[in-house]
Amino acid sequence: MAHQAHSYHMVDPSPWPISGAAAALLTTSGLIMWFHHSSSQLLTLGLLSMILVMLQWWRDIVREGTFQGHHTPTVQKGLRYGMILFITSEAFFFLGFFWAFFHSSLAPTPELGGQWPPMGIKPLNPLEVPLLNTAILLASGVTVTWAHHSITESNRKQAIQALTLTILLGFYFTALQAMEYYEAPFSIADGVYGSTFFVATGFHGLHVIIGSSFLSVCLLRLIKFHFTSDHHFGFEAAAWYWHFVDVIWLFLYMTIYWWGS
Amino acid sequence: ARLWKLLTFVVALPGVGVCMLNCYLKAGHDHERPEFVPYAHLRIRTKPFPWGDGNKTLFHNPHVNALPTGYED
Repeated sequence: MAHQAHSYHMVDPSPWPISGAAAALLTTSGLIMWFHHSSSQLLTLGLLSMILVMLQWWRDIVREGTFQGHHTPTVQKGLRYGMILFITSEAFFFLGFFWAFFHSSLAPTPELGGQWPPMGIKPLNPLEVPLLNTAILLASGVTVTWAHHSITESNRKQAIQALTLTILLGFYFTALQAMEYYEAPFSIADGVYGSTFFVATGFHGLHVIIGSSFLSVCLLRLIKFHFTSDHHFGFEAAAWYWHFVDVIWLFLYMTIYWWGS
Repeated sequence: ARLWKLLTFVVALPGVGVCMLNCYLKAGHDHERPEFVPYAHLRIRTKPFPWGDGNKTLFHNPHVNALPTGYED
């Protein structure tokens, strides 16, 4: 049997990278078909294949790490760098939307009535549901930290409790935001106010959903004994992502919701 | 973990509770819907939406969202 003389993971050939690329192609061309030719089959196929690739690729990574032992400290270090770089790229993604918001709101044009919020726009009261949402995400940051400490201290019961609470708070946030979107007196079509508001908060909401899904997978793995008290990087990555989502919300709240009203 | 459990049940969750109460108390007043003014910079329809009749946004609420021609109800 061959043994490697290094601590890196030479991954076995996998169909997921190219399948992921194909899924991306189907999704992007599907969007064009939907927007310009009123046809949604390609888009549906694209999104479906994207989900399947994600499920199977990540399932394989769990198998390689948890069951086959390929995630040595060296490999784990690389995974940490990877997650940090990814989150950094997401920060830049949101930076663009904040730039757009300030571009339009710091010097409102005559078409908007020379004011921000524009003429005819009644912004949401930042001290009502948006404040509750802030409390919810901050609380979920505390509960995910409780979960982490419980994992490192091998306290299974509390880890499960704390992570479950975190996920429930995430769902509560999403439900409240959906309700706010429905009840808002302004829409995405209401000029640059609507565009900046809904694109920035919309992408944030998508990230909350992604983060909640990531945490849910971690809960499942926690229950199935995948994590040890000193090796649980999947959980740490989810927790980092969750804190990032919280920080983005704080910026959204302070700028768009509060200053922007 | 004890510190964070304490923070959860003494600070974080009660904080959420206070904000929930605050929302509940403030949500009493029924929305006095603003009068419809057909501003050109709002309710923009450069291109129809790819769903329904193409004229309603994704989270359209007929009670509070006017169409370019006015409230539906």
